[in-house]
Amino acid sequence: MALGRFLLKRVLQGILVVWGVITVVFALRFVTPGSPINAIAPLDASQETRQAIAEELGLDQPLYVQYANYLFDLLRGDMGFSYIKGQEAAGLVFQKLPATLELAVAATVVAIVLSIPLGVLSATRRNEPVDYGATLFSLGGISTPNFWLGIMLVLVFSVQLNVFKTSGRGVGFEDVVASVFTGDPFLDTLITWLSFITLPAITLGTYFTALITRLTRSGMLDQLGQSYVRAARAKGLPETLVRYKHALRNTLIPVITVLGLQMGTLIGGAVITEAVFAWPGLGTLVIQSINLRDWPTLQGSLIVIGAGFVVVNILVDALYAYVNPQVVYD
Amino acid sequence: MVLDRILATLRNAVSISPRVKRNLQREFARSALAKLGLVLVVAILLVAIFAPFFAPHDPTEQRLNQSQLPPLGFSKTVETTSSEFVDGEITLVNETTTVAAKPEFPLGTDSLGRDMLSRVIYGARTSLLVGIMGTLLAALVGVPVGLLAGYHRGKVDDTLMRIADVSLAFPSLVLAIALIGLWGRAAVPVPDPFVAAGFAGEMPATFVLPGTVIIVVGLVNWVWFARVARGEALSLREEEYVKAARALGARNNRIITRHVLPNAITPILVLGTIQIAAIILLESALSFLGFSGTTLSWGFDIAQGRDYITSGQWWISTVPGLAIVLAVVGINLLGDWLRDALDPGIEGEGGGP
Amino acid sequence: MSRESAAGRAAGDAETDLLRVRDLSTRFFTEDGQVNAVESVDFDVRENEILGIVGESGSGKSVTALSIIDLVDSPGRVTSGEVWYRSPDLAEEFRDRGAGVEGDLVDLRTVPEGVRRSLRGPAFSMIFQDPMSSFNPSITVGEQIAEAVEVQRRARANPRSTRSRTQGYGLGKYLLDGLLPGRDYVDEASQARAVELLEQVGIPDPAERAEEYPHQFSGGMLQRAMIAQALAGEPDLLVADEPTTALDVTIQAQILELLREIQAERGMSVVMITHDLGVIARMCDRVCVMYAGEVVERGTLADVFERPTHPYTQGLLGSIPDLQDPRPRLQPIEGNVPSLLDAEMGDRCYFADRCPKAMRDCLEKPPELDAEGSPEHRAKCVLAERPYDPDEALSPGHFGGEGE
Repeated sequence: MALGRFLLKRVLQGILVVWGVITVVFALRFVTPGSPINAIAPLDASQETRQAIAEELGLDQPLYVQYANYLFDLLRGDMGFSYIKGQEAAGLVFQKLPATLELAVAATVVAIVLSIPLGVLSATRRNEPVDYGATLFSLGGISTPNFWLGIMLVLVFSVQLNVFKTSGRGVGFEDVVASVFTGDPFLDTLITWLSFITLPAITLGTYFTALITRLTRSGMLDQLGQSYVRAARAKGLPETLVRYKHALRNTLIPVITVLGLQMGTLIGGAVITEAVFAWPGLGTLVIQSINLRDWPTLQGSLIVIGAGFVVVNILVDALYAYVNPQVVYD
Repeated sequence: MVLDRILATLRNAVSISPRVKRNLQREFARSALAKLGLVLVVAILLVAIFAPFFAPHDPTEQRLNQSQLPPLGFSKTVETTSSEFVDGEITLVNETTTVAAKPEFPLGTDSLGRDMLSRVIYGARTSLLVGIMGTLLAALVGVPVGLLAGYHRGKVDDTLMRIADVSLAFPSLVLAIALIGLWGRAAVPVPDPFVAAGFAGEMPATFVLPGTVIIVVGLVNWVWFARVARGEALSLREEEYVKAARALGARNNRIITRHVLPNAITPILVLGTIQIAAIILLESALSFLGFSGTTLSWGFDIAQGRDYITSGQWWISTVPGLAIVLAVVGINLLGDWLRDALDPGIEGEGGGP
Repeated sequence: MSRESAAGRAAGDAETDLLRVRDLSTRFFTEDGQVNAVESVDFDVRENEILGIVGESGSGKSVTALSIIDLVDSPGRVTSGEVWYRSPDLAEEFRDRGAGVEGDLVDLRTVPEGVRRSLRGPAFSMIFQDPMSSFNPSITVGEQIAEAVEVQRRARANPRSTRSRTQGYGLGKYLLDGLLPGRDYVDEASQARAVELLEQVGIPDPAERAEEYPHQFSGGMLQRAMIAQALAGEPDLLVADEPTTALDVTIQAQILELLREIQAERGMSVVMITHDLGVIARMCDRVCVMYAGEVVERGTLADVFERPTHPYTQGLLGSIPDLQDPRPRLQPIEGNVPSLLDAEMGDRCYFADRCPKAMRDCLEKPPELDAEGSPEHRAKCVLAERPYDPDEALSPGHFGGEGE
């Protein structure tokens, strides 16, 4: 099946990219001022610790051997040892991953659910108040720094109105799901979870809501002027189908492309959002490890972020192939 | 000699045909938003350039006894609890005092007593400098690389696209943070020309340029320019006049600079405006996280104000944020104007915060 | 090579009119001004006939077709006129409801918009010039034809529902169908019928081809598919807007042949819009000639081809190279098509500035007059009543300042 072959090709390309990411991260070690030992050891490390690190890194061995060792270690799940935190870097990274995933997924869901209907509405009721409102909102949304938005939201909703929590992640989505099976009260858990995640999700999701609304609107306007739309109406097809089954489908094609390109922004935004809300995810870990000079953890986090990004892009490509079957045959 | 060549290339690239001028004017006249954008951008440019004249106070001057004053029109209530000796017993006394705004600090002061208005004005300098210089760096690296890749195709093109993919695999903010973390926050003090000329005596004599930040934002964003330039080169190389030039024996570089570049400039310009906005947002994010080389920045102020949100000093975070929004909105509106006038078919949205 | 069956029918038989268009005008209200695309157009379409509408680009022929089936998009609008359609059911329904009804004919401009919309598919359908851009590139051809079949099926099952604002299928139903598995707008029976239709229009391996996407079809095949789609609703009237212009000559012949067969089989009426006189000669029973948004001459094929009255028609016929009677040079029509901007059109015969026989009377708009030949032969030209008189001719430079 052509779709299967297409996806396989993408997956193979993805593996190549991840390999590239790993190589760059490996090279970072040698780019830091000073010797690579500085990249691993904390500032106040003793001579013995430094010696141990030197041996472990195999600094006496040729470069390609070090590189090979690094790769093999990674394949076994060993990202090195964080001397700062005193535990395996891989453990730290994978412990924080779910929180970031939860935030990213929540924000994306919020964005898509709000923006596509808004964009379609904006296009079909062009130049009416709804359109103006949506356009202004989109303009504001892509121009507002999300950390500032987060702070303002906290100011209004947490401090003044006391509706949501100001920071942290007391309850995760897995807890909500788990409460269905355990004896914990489902509704309470759900509400607590919402009180923690709502503001961060809105903060992270606003840029994308604005972006997708804009793209959907202009895409729809473009499509609704095409010949096939007129032909569809000429055969008597209900307007609902003309708009959603036909025009919107073709609108989403470039929208999905741009979304794919913007995944990096989503991750960057997640880092900031986590900083604003003290959300215990990968982003916070990255910043922490930079400030603490915890290089193994930093490198591990970067690799996981890079790999996650590649996975998301493959998913986006699959979605794209679904709505635009032509790409599969190229 | 080389300088002449470069200048000629630039002039050629940016030369505007009369039809383009007419499109720009017509679109401008039609669109109220474009006018608003121009007003905002010109205002911010003026404020940034002539900062020493617009700012009422030195933005770095601390006045600890006048810290945390609210902006004009607002007041702040402070509750203090102290223990006092009353009638031989220690009791807790709650006092509520109202702190009023002072007209000499129209937008209030921050926790160290620095004037918010002056800080916002100087912050514009940081944001615009980083935005413009970062974009120029990204363009200067990305456009030639993209043009060469698209024009020559083959292995050069493939390698470029692989590098681009890997570059884009790293979210720009994360990459920027990592690089700054590794290389440090180098700051370059630049003497302020107006103060040096003796015009605004009480203002700081040097202005701090966050060097690492500029280089880093340029490095993470060059790929966008390369992509666009490559796309244009790919399609333009099939144009008749390019083929004719080659048939006449013109050298490739000459063809690229004289034929391909001027016709590719439109989407590059549009991308440029988007990028400036994106870089301003990126710089403010980096400042917010503490990764900038300068403390006179909108992002930095938002960060320091964050701790005071819960205790009622909302303006320290709010005011610089509004400045960012206005600046970016203005640039986006200008970008929209350019796009609508020059080529409504351009796919938008490259780069982001 | 003209059709013979038309001769068997009584000419001017008003009992078999399917469609009567009276005084139809469509205007576009653009930024540059008002464009009079169609102006006071009159014509009839009989049952079981092929009517041709011929004219250059910009003559208004496509917009006329769109106006009949109410597909004119903003900034355009049908501003006046009557479109009488023969439908005993509709006549029955609207007779006492304030709409225009005469016998079995209903004036579609006087019934609610929903009713007009519901007629697309079951009563009227249209095929367009470029099949590749008339199909949605991301949906299979079979699915798109099945949609057309489904429209008809639902209309027949529940006629009133298709008249609502959402045509009986709103956003709620769409979301529901999308979320629940096994439900779809298009019924399986409709999909099967779509494959049948593909077979009827001569597409080999119809079941496989129905699963393919438009870009996998050749131009000719896709045009056949478009015809299949148009037939799905079993319409009374098929409008074909330049159906063969984008195709190779050999394919053109095939498609026209197909249209003829289908028309004969189903007794359907066809409005054939084209700029190609050869197609008209081959296919049509009667012809309308359009220029600058007006019908300048109309009549049977013989009337227009053998006794052209309006100088524009004469000019069109004279522009065709004739192998049997080679003349030393072709006779093109001088000048350019006029602008349709309301501000720039005068109140005179629009062809006068290019007409070799323009006379002083032509400075006033001529009404439609009866011309020689069959009773149906009419022309908007004073030459229908009297011959050309050189003494009253306008000087060649009379319209010098207008246009180019």
